[in-house]
Amino acid sequence: MTELLRLEKIRKTFPGVLANDDVDLSIEQGEIHALLGENGAGKTTLMNCVYGLYRPDSGKIFWKGKEVSVHQARDAIALGIGMVHQHFMLVPPLTVAENVVLGLPLPREPLLDLSAVEKEVQQTGERYGLLVNPKAQIWQLPVGVQQRVEILKALYRKAELLILDEPTAVLTPGEVEELFKVLRSLANQGISIIFITHKLEEVMALCDRVTVLRNGRKVATVNTSDTNTRELAKMMVGREVFLDIKKPDLMPGEVVLRVKNLSALDNRELPAVKSVSFYIRRNEILGIAGVDGNGQTELAEVLFGMRKATNGTVEVLGYDVTNCSPLEIINRGVAYIPPDRQHTGLLLDFTITENLIGKSYYKLPLSKNGIFQSRPIAEFAASSIKKFDIRTPGPDLKVKLLSGGNQQKVVLAREMSGNPALVIAAQPTRGLDVGATEYVRNQMVEARNTGAAILLISTELEEILTLSDRIAVMYEGEIVGIVPAKGADIHEISEMMAGVLRVGDLTAMDI
Amino acid sequence: MKSKNRLWILWREFLERSFSIAIPVAAIMAAFLVSGFIILAWGSSPMAAYTALFSGAFGSISGIATTLQRLTPLVFTGLAVAYGYRGGFFNIGAEGQLYMGAIAAVWFAITFPNLPSWLLITLCIFASGFMGLVWVLLPAYLKAKRGINEVLTTLLMNYIAIQYFEWVIRVDHIQEGILLFGGVEPIWTFQNWLGIKDATQPHPKSAFLVDAAHLPTMKSLLESNLFSSLFGGAEWYKELLGITAFGRISLAPLLALLTALVIFFVMFKTVTGYRSRAVGINPEAARFMGINVPRTLFVTALISGTLAGLAGGMEVLGTQHRVIPNFLVNAGFDGIPVALIGQLHPLGVLLSATFFGALRAGANKMQVITSVPIAVVYIIQALAIVFAIAGTTVDIGANLKKKRLAREVSEQKLEPAKEEVANA
Repeated sequence: MTELLRLEKIRKTFPGVLANDDVDLSIEQGEIHALLGENGAGKTTLMNCVYGLYRPDSGKIFWKGKEVSVHQARDAIALGIGMVHQHFMLVPPLTVAENVVLGLPLPREPLLDLSAVEKEVQQTGERYGLLVNPKAQIWQLPVGVQQRVEILKALYRKAELLILDEPTAVLTPGEVEELFKVLRSLANQGISIIFITHKLEEVMALCDRVTVLRNGRKVATVNTSDTNTRELAKMMVGREVFLDIKKPDLMPGEVVLRVKNLSALDNRELPAVKSVSFYIRRNEILGIAGVDGNGQTELAEVLFGMRKATNGTVEVLGYDVTNCSPLEIINRGVAYIPPDRQHTGLLLDFTITENLIGKSYYKLPLSKNGIFQSRPIAEFAASSIKKFDIRTPGPDLKVKLLSGGNQQKVVLAREMSGNPALVIAAQPTRGLDVGATEYVRNQMVEARNTGAAILLISTELEEILTLSDRIAVMYEGEIVGIVPAKGADIHEISEMMAGVLRVGDLTAMDI
Repeated sequence: MKSKNRLWILWREFLERSFSIAIPVAAIMAAFLVSGFIILAWGSSPMAAYTALFSGAFGSISGIATTLQRLTPLVFTGLAVAYGYRGGFFNIGAEGQLYMGAIAAVWFAITFPNLPSWLLITLCIFASGFMGLVWVLLPAYLKAKRGINEVLTTLLMNYIAIQYFEWVIRVDHIQEGILLFGGVEPIWTFQNWLGIKDATQPHPKSAFLVDAAHLPTMKSLLESNLFSSLFGGAEWYKELLGITAFGRISLAPLLALLTALVIFFVMFKTVTGYRSRAVGINPEAARFMGINVPRTLFVTALISGTLAGLAGGMEVLGTQHRVIPNFLVNAGFDGIPVALIGQLHPLGVLLSATFFGALRAGANKMQVITSVPIAVVYIIQALAIVFAIAGTTVDIGANLKKKRLAREVSEQKLEPAKEEVANA
């Protein structure tokens, strides 16, 4: 087989983040190559560099053996690279043919003659099994068919390499089967495909080779025939334990959170949390492990009243708080560290002080009859900044000017300020550097030691193993097993994360 | 290293803050500059025109009185838009709320003319604010509970208010005491609540408000017993009494100033303002903090509507003392650029309203002296708005930060926090 595309030492940085660290990649003609990695591993960034949406800081791109420079998407299209983004780039009121030809010269310019285009769309569709009515308007089509239009668009532009960014995320299982059929037929006819995903079974079912990325670095490229989901899971989540967290053995106390048969839907109204049951006690950290996108985020949102539970109950300290408002749940002593501090955790345009008082601003002594009391607020902010070691020249700095680690400390300071009974921490160290990560983890353990119950959601297995007292694994919205962390078998957990193993709740007991 | 870093961060913060003032100032300067070329093309001297404009606005007591009269409603509508905008409720409906506020104040003053002056004025002010609030209720509800875009609803409410106003002032009112056919009492709007003299003439007027409903002026203050007994004999006092322009400087600008200070306080020093701003910045994050987002949006909208209603009341009680068709054209819509040029800050609104008010006040003199048409001030105004909006896209502060971070990354300082830990 001949090599179609080769990347050498691609490096891309964003403000404060190293997204791709000298990544090499080689794609052969007619192969389906998976790019596997967690969210934030740098898969999409790498492909955006290939497609000309980003310019790499350094590194070389070779196309059919020749070095090329791709400055914009137009260059990539001219070479024969097509990309189907996670969010489709289609114009809903226009027809399929109109979308396909958008931006290209027409046979009879300046007249809009679509009949030739429609014919060609029809022919291409028949050739690859991508049947779409070229006269249909996009908005009328189901998502799976819209995706075919995106693929047709690339093929119409004579693409030899097709990049698909998490194409199955929006599809139903039936549509996924259809898509796989189409992709195999494309590959048989010599078109190469890069398939971005974090789903292991898709890699095994569809792809010839797989390149695993972790934290912006390439871990390995292997043939799918030489590997299995367990090994891929291990490569994907990594397992080096590089931080030393001291965690004393403690007797867990009373049950703080009890969840029974909880179910909820995701934003697409599909079941995301499926009849989940567990409990957490005082002085205990329950880690929820799982590959990203298996319902963990939705679970956290349901617990905090941000998402409706369709079934089941949530009890905090004996009170039923199912489908209560976030404020009521906060008032029961629940703190929430959201997974995305920039969008949901903080008000970036507020000052540090204004963010710090976010949970207690309406209570004495910070405000009296609805009026802010400057001195108590200043003292509160100063003590939080000191206690949580927030590095800033002053309390009136806007939070957006802080580094990621210090921003997360502001979230921690705000959430921990009321000595919560239950802390829900979703991806609390995502995107943080080593120092800040260690700090955040120590705070979690500190809160546990002083009597809080902690629900830790993390896609980093290493973090779960380091911090948890018990580990629950989520797979496709279900808890497939709960095991004590002490003596937990990492292989067993990897297998549960990959959905190939189920164990009962080894920690279940009547409390 | 550490102290240098600290100074550098403070310097960046200072830059970011000063840019928020520099952008509108630069926009206004640029507007004057570009309009200067238009005046040149007209065949006049821009310097002469601007001198006349400035002296018309600030060069005499009469000019200052006019400037104050013009800026007062703009302060209220500017505050209405600024508070709403900060709270995530973009109130385009200040115009309609203002008309309804004016009708309410006039109606109240005409209906209860015998109340003591202080009480009548207070209640008229309340009536205008309340009517502004009522006029924003529907858009507020639709936005908060149903998520319907407030820009559309408030805009459409304007037309209802303006047409209602036109109708009220032009409808051929039935004489009081006369019943409709079959002895039916005339419905509310058919009665002549506003004391319209002759609705058929081209420029119908409401009745002139009783003196008790006029806001006190500088003149009335000087003529009061206290002042005349204190300074009755003094020469300068008699001179001051002779200045008629003092009769046009009412309490309204002072109330506008006070309102701006109150809104500043509410915005930055109260729980209400904190919630409003939090929802305006990021409703999702506000929800995570436990803020009731719909309720907060509703309150924000009501505050905004009340402020716009007050604009109408102040104009009627302080300046015109009656309503006529087009009595305050566009003061509501102009609240939007006033707020934007004022950087959505209550004190910034004061300054930008002064700029807008001065332009209007000085325009006449400019036309008389230099024969540059009044329309030029609207060109200046429009250009200032365009430049100010263009300026806000140049977020220099954020750009500085981006560049710095990019540099740090390329210099391999990927873990600044770790480095700081080592230094500390």
